[in-house]
Amino acid sequence: MRFTHWALGFCLVGVVLAAGPYSQAIPAFSRQYGTSCSTCHVDFPKLNDFGKAFKDAGFKFPKDDETFMKIPPVLLGAPAQKEMWPHSIWPGTLPGLPMIGLRFNTFFQVYGKNRNNFAPPGPGAPGIPRTDFQPGLFSIFTAGNFGSGIAFWVDDDFSVGGANSNGGLGDGYLKFHNIGRLFKLPNDSLNLRVGQFEIDLPFSPARSWNLSGWDIYDEANFGAANGLGPGVNNSFAFSSPGQGVEISGGHMYKGYHYSLAVLNQNTNSGAVAAGANVSPEVGIFSDSNFKDLYGRFQYRFNLEKDVASRNDIQAAGPSGPRDHTYLQLGTFYFYGRSVQRITPPDTTTVLTAREPFYRTGGDFSFNYRTFNLFGLYMYGHDRSQVLDPVGQTNLIAAPSAHFSGGFLEADYLALPWLMTIMRYDRVQSTADFLNGQGAANFFAAASGTRNRVTPGVQFLIHANIKASFEYQIRPNQTGTDSKGNPIDFRTNQGVAGLEWVY
Amino acid sequence: MNRSILSVLMAVMATAVAAHAGSISGKVSGVAGESVVYVDTIAGKTFPAPAEHPVIDQKGLLFQPHITVVLRGTTVEFRNSDNVAHNVFWPSIQQGAKKLPGKNLGTWPQGEKRPFKFDQAGAAALLCNVHPEMAGYIVVSPTPYYATTDNSGNYKIDGVPDGQYNVVAWHEGAKTQSKAVAVAGDGKADFTLTK
Repeated sequence: MRFTHWALGFCLVGVVLAAGPYSQAIPAFSRQYGTSCSTCHVDFPKLNDFGKAFKDAGFKFPKDDETFMKIPPVLLGAPAQKEMWPHSIWPGTLPGLPMIGLRFNTFFQVYGKNRNNFAPPGPGAPGIPRTDFQPGLFSIFTAGNFGSGIAFWVDDDFSVGGANSNGGLGDGYLKFHNIGRLFKLPNDSLNLRVGQFEIDLPFSPARSWNLSGWDIYDEANFGAANGLGPGVNNSFAFSSPGQGVEISGGHMYKGYHYSLAVLNQNTNSGAVAAGANVSPEVGIFSDSNFKDLYGRFQYRFNLEKDVASRNDIQAAGPSGPRDHTYLQLGTFYFYGRSVQRITPPDTTTVLTAREPFYRTGGDFSFNYRTFNLFGLYMYGHDRSQVLDPVGQTNLIAAPSAHFSGGFLEADYLALPWLMTIMRYDRVQSTADFLNGQGAANFFAAASGTRNRVTPGVQFLIHANIKASFEYQIRPNQTGTDSKGNPIDFRTNQGVAGLEWVY
Repeated sequence: MNRSILSVLMAVMATAVAAHAGSISGKVSGVAGESVVYVDTIAGKTFPAPAEHPVIDQKGLLFQPHITVVLRGTTVEFRNSDNVAHNVFWPSIQQGAKKLPGKNLGTWPQGEKRPFKFDQAGAAALLCNVHPEMAGYIVVSPTPYYATTDNSGNYKIDGVPDGQYNVVAWHEGAKTQSKAVAVAGDGKADFTLTK
C-alpha cells in the first residue's frame, strides 16, 4: 500500500498516536476550584491569559483566591500565629485535597520513507517498520500552593513507552512568590524558585501542545575532533531540566517578565555520577563545580484599543472576555562550560577540557483574538579543544562548533475545541555539516536533516481529552540505492495522538 | 361619585375576586431537586411586569441563584461579584417545542450589573463563555401564577382564579411537560418528568 493511502487511512480512522514532549494540564486545579480546564487553557496545555496569571500568582487565582475554592485548605496553624513568630511556626496551609493529576497518552506513527529506501534490508541492516502503535507516557503531576505565596510543582513519568520505563522526574520545585515584598519592592517583582525545573524558555517544550517538540530545543552541539579527541561533545539541550535556583519577576500576561538562573553544569546527557562522599551518599548531577547561567527578559505589549483594559488579565470583548491582542518580544542567553576529561595515550595524567559555550536568541509572539503567531531564533556556540597531535600531552584550540535555527508557528483556534497548527522548524549545525548526507543520516528512522514543515490539527473531545494529528514534511533528499542508482525521497512522518488527563 | 365611595367599591370587588381565587398544587416526580411549575399563557390576559429587578449574581464561579423564575416583561439584572472576568449568554429560549434565539450580554467588570428585559416566555440556560462549567437557569412565566417545588417535589401556586388552564412543569435537563387543569377553588396537577 502506498504511503499516501496509509496517511489517508489513519487520518480518517482518527484513532492514534506519536512520541514527543507532550502536555501537562492540571486536573487537580479543576477539582479544587470546581472549574473547567478551559478556564486556564486554550487547547490544553496551552495557557490562555488567565492561565498565565494563575501561574504568575503561584497557582492561585490572582485575587480573592479563597472565595473561589470549592474545597477549603487545611490550616497548618491559625493565621493569628503570625503574631507569635519567631516563637511559633509561621502558619501555612495544605490544599484540602491531594493535588494530584494523572495523564496518559498513546500514539500511532507512520513514516513515508526510511533507511529501507536508502539501503534495502539485509545482513546487519534489518528492515525498519514504517508504522507503529506506541503507548506514550503515564505521568503524575502535583502542584498547588502552601499559603504565604509558596507554590509547589512535582511531575514524574511512571512509565514511558508502556514498558515500565522510568521516565524520571520532570520538574520538582518550590517557588516563593513575591518575596520582593520583604524588601519593599514592587508587587510580583521578585520570586525565588529552587529545585529541578525547565529553564524559563519563551515557549515551554515540556508544556508544549504539539505532538513533536520544537527541534531547536533538542539541539545538542557536536563538532569536529582530530581523531584524538575530545572536540565538542556537548549533550546539553534547552529541553533538559536544570537543577538550581532562579529568581524571576513580572508577569506573563502583561508588561515585563525576567528570570535569572544558576544551574548545575551538566553536558553529559544528564548522567548522574555515583555518590562518593560520606554517608548518606547521593548522586552527583554536576560535571564540575562551575554553575551555568541563564537569563531571560521579555516584554509584552497589550494592544487593546481600550487603554484601561490593557492591564486587566483578560480583554473585555463584546461577547465575553478573551485573550488580549498583544505583541511579546523577548531575548535569552545561556552561558555554560562543557567539561570533558581524557587520558592521553602516553601519560596517566587526566586532561580536562573546559569548553565555554553559549546559547542566545530572540523570540516573539503576536496574538489577535484566536490567532497566535510566534517564533524563536537561537544561535549556539561551543569553543573546542582537542589533543595536540604534537606530543599528545596537552590540549589546543580547535574550530568551534555552532548551530542556529528556530521555529515559526501559527495556531488558529477555529472553534473552542478545534485548533489548526502550521509550523516550520529549522536547525543548521556543524554536526549536520560534518555528517553531510551520508549513510549516517539514515540510521534512524527519521532523517538527521532537521528542517521541516508541520501542519497539524487538534480536537478537544472533552476539555480533558484531546486527539491530535500532525504531518511532518521534510526536505527532499538524494542518494543512491544499493545498486548505485540515484534515488530521492522525503522522510515524511504522520503522527496521531490521544491524550487524556484526570 | 366621590373618591371615598370609589375606593370602598374597589375594595369590595377585590375581596370578591379573592374569594374566587384558588390554587393549583401537586407533585413533580421523576427528577431530583428544584422544579418550576407555572400557568401558561391565558388568552386575552396580560399582566404588568413588576417594578422590582431581581438580581442574578455571578459569584464564586457560580450563578446565584441557580434557578430564577420571573414574570414575562421583568427586567433582570446580572451582576459580576467575582474578581475574574465573566460573561452571560444563553444559546436559546425554549418555549414549548420552539427554540427562540439566544442572547449574549457581553462582559463587565466586578461589581457592575447589566440589565436585560425578558419579554418572551420560556426557559433559558444561562452560561458563561469563559467558565463553561457555570450554568444557571431562568424560567420566564407568561403569568404571575408560578411556584417552585420543595425538595420532595411538592408545589402550590396560590391566587389562581377559577378557570381552565394549561400548567407547565420545567426541570433542569428534563423534558418540559404541560397539563390542562381546571381550577374551581383548588386544582391538582401531578407531573412525572423524564430526562
